[in-house]
Amino acid sequence: MKAIPIGMYVPGDSILHRLDPRVKMGVTLVLMTIPFAIHSPWSYLTLSAFIATLVLLAGVPPRTLWRTLRTVFGIAFLMFFLYLFTTPGEPLLAVGPIALTWQGVLAAGGQIYRLCLLVITASLLTFTTSPMQLTHGLEAMLSPLERVRLPVRELAMVLTIALRFVPTLQEEIDKLAKAQRARGADFTGGPLRRARNLVPIFVPIFVSAFRRADELATAMDARGFRSTPHRTRMRRLHLGYRDLLAMLIVLGLVLTLIGLG
Amino acid sequence: MHIRVENLTHIYNQGTPLERTALHEVNLEIEAGERIGLVGPTGSGKSTLVQHLAGLLQPTTGRVLLAGTPIHSKGATARSLRLQVGLAFQYPEDQIFEQSVFREVAFGPRNLGLDETEVKARVHWALEMVGLDPARIGPRMPFTLSGGERRRVALASILAMRPRVLILDEPTAGQDPQGRRALWEKVGQWQQETGMTLIIVSHALEELARLVERVIALRAGRVVADGPTREVLSDARLLRDIGLDVPEPVALLQALRQAGKDVRTDRLLPAEAAAEIASAWGLRRAGA
Repeated sequence: MKAIPIGMYVPGDSILHRLDPRVKMGVTLVLMTIPFAIHSPWSYLTLSAFIATLVLLAGVPPRTLWRTLRTVFGIAFLMFFLYLFTTPGEPLLAVGPIALTWQGVLAAGGQIYRLCLLVITASLLTFTTSPMQLTHGLEAMLSPLERVRLPVRELAMVLTIALRFVPTLQEEIDKLAKAQRARGADFTGGPLRRARNLVPIFVPIFVSAFRRADELATAMDARGFRSTPHRTRMRRLHLGYRDLLAMLIVLGLVLTLIGLG
Repeated sequence: MHIRVENLTHIYNQGTPLERTALHEVNLEIEAGERIGLVGPTGSGKSTLVQHLAGLLQPTTGRVLLAGTPIHSKGATARSLRLQVGLAFQYPEDQIFEQSVFREVAFGPRNLGLDETEVKARVHWALEMVGLDPARIGPRMPFTLSGGERRRVALASILAMRPRVLILDEPTAGQDPQGRRALWEKVGQWQQETGMTLIIVSHALEELARLVERVIALRAGRVVADGPTREVLSDARLLRDIGLDVPEPVALLQALRQAGKDVRTDRLLPAEAAAEIASAWGLRRAGA
């Protein structure tokens, strides 16, 4: 098994871990919009400092953060070159029709920086909020949509169950890969060969996933599961003074950034 | 094939909050053709150890030598050595994926690069070894078979690779008593017929006692006992210590001994224990 998967929950007891998931989701949305609305270097500096403080508060190991950032390297690379060569402006260096412009360098750098901020902000949410809390928060935030007959509760249930089975499936894939490797299966080679070689893993995985789903449905049925009546929660969400404080701080940040431009 | 385990340590998720040491400085020497039972409570490192013996894990420190060659090294030699170790995980029928029994059993031999005649011969041999009729069951879809039959197909698919070391992890788990007995008998036959090294992980101590000559006991990732079956499995204190049930014949003989009877307590099988009790009482068993 791999170490902690990318973007996954890192158990902890920091102030960020203890915030209400709804507040965290709302704040994350706000923080992820900001990079697209600000322009001045001072704004970027303020926002970066703010997010850096959050990272420190969350106590996320730097290595974990680095691994998360690494996953977007491919896109970042592509974006960098697209912006570098497609932004019009004063040419710094020109080879035929392709021109490197000063504006392009700035734009490319800025985009990468924004992407990094986005990834860090988003992963702060998943690092400090358990999947259970996330779905719980999502359900609470979507509950107004029940009025228009969106089955929010059922969707949340489906999401919870799906998340619950991610580690189980990972473990099973790991075991199957080993079992087939012991029978001489080879998972190296070109993409086409590799895809074909994955059949011995994916057929059994599907079989067991369907069997599991069946068993789970029967078990839920046997215990009288129905989604319609309102169910009470073991842990109810309620906003505390910390949550209010957090929202005030973010509001302050937004106002400051509007001031800075 | 000679197996040598040198200072093998395995740590899962090293450097994360989920770090766990599964094996700690394990040293073992296994001769070709030995029949070995591997016992220990859940989480004692049995599964990790057998995966190492099949070269499926990378050791944290230490190494595993197969016929003198490190099993984890890169290259064709190490790979062909790894393929001489057959490993059946618990519930091996979960790995079945082909559309017919024949193709399932042929998967391993084909991966070995054998020609079709040899593949066919091996599939027939392997299916016969597990007590299935190749002509009747070969063309069938694995998912139409019974649980017991699927287990045997999965085991055949490993036997068909003609491993020189066969490792079985709880081979009879979840089977009915008749199926279990039949399977244990078969395992003994395979070993006799091929002379391969046999390593069995099991909690069924009585069945182990009938089959293996040496027992290795693990607890918390360390080897806590390694010796002749009769010795290890009659050591009641050791077994209780590592959380295993003492075989009933041994428990009975120990109770008798404590009550003042002069009996040996290293009789693992009911028949042996009966003979021991009979002789202690000066009786001769009918037919014995």
